[in-house]
Amino acid sequence: MFKDLDPILHSQLRLAVMSLLIGVKEAEFTFIKDKTGSTAGNLSVQISKLKEAGYVDVVKQFKDNYPQTICKITPQGIEAFETYVKALQTYLPK
Amino acid sequence: MAEKPLTEQESLLIIQQMINRAKSNFVDTGIGPILWGAVITVCSSVQAIKIYYDLEMPFDIWLLALFALIPQVFISIKERKERKAKGWDDDIMSYVWICFGIGIFVVNFVNNRMDAELNYALSEYTKFSGKGVPNTWSFGTCFLLFVYGFPTIITGAARKQRWMLAGGIFCWTSAIVASFTPTYVDFILMAFAAALSWLIPGIMIRTKYMQQKKGNV
Repeated sequence: MFKDLDPILHSQLRLAVMSLLIGVKEAEFTFIKDKTGSTAGNLSVQISKLKEAGYVDVVKQFKDNYPQTICKITPQGIEAFETYVKALQTYLPK
Repeated sequence: MAEKPLTEQESLLIIQQMINRAKSNFVDTGIGPILWGAVITVCSSVQAIKIYYDLEMPFDIWLLALFALIPQVFISIKERKERKAKGWDDDIMSYVWICFGIGIFVVNFVNNRMDAELNYALSEYTKFSGKGVPNTWSFGTCFLLFVYGFPTIITGAARKQRWMLAGGIFCWTSAIVASFTPTYVDFILMAFAAALSWLIPGIMIRTKYMQQKKGNV
């Protein structure tokens, strides 16, 4: 039986961001931008959506006088990601 | 990366690609293992030569290890600044190596205390009885080799560095072997242990890091 896929995660860039963040403890915005190859504007919008869903934490701070944005996956985000992967497996041929 | 409807296969591919990209960020630069591998190999080799030929040196060769702390501090600060993502095990690895540093200090302190308290009596006994008795350093090197093995095995296993893991096992094996061998052989074993545990894996890690850096340009 097919399980519903989380619409928040079933989007190319948001899924890419979550997949990156699941592998690290925390990452700078520029790191996510480089690895996903996205634009700053689009990435910012998608991270905001993930933040609203409670899947990521975003901390804005200054480092060496430059603004720095740190993103970190939340326990809720980890759970949602695991559920998404399990649901995805039901769609794959066995 | 543009927004478009995703198929299930595409979703899986994205997950796989991104996890791999995150992983590739955690290739160490290798400078730390090269630095310490080289320093300990040189110090141990010089110490072995010094003992074997009964040489006097104007300074203690192990001071080199103390001086190596200075570049290590700068390397650590630079690497920390350049790193844009933090791995799940980064903090644990730092604690492991800090504990190693403290462990080495404690073992050396105890070895020096044993040396001060017992070696005079042991050499007097040797003169008096004519029997060759090993001094405390002959066993002190065993403790050092044992401590060398700990962080090396943990790092090798956690970072999947097979050479480092093998080097750590060599350290522990050498710790046992060194309890039966004369002190100069212990230091030769220590030189090999440092080269196998840190210098060679460090060079391999550095090569991988440079290749990846070249690929990213």
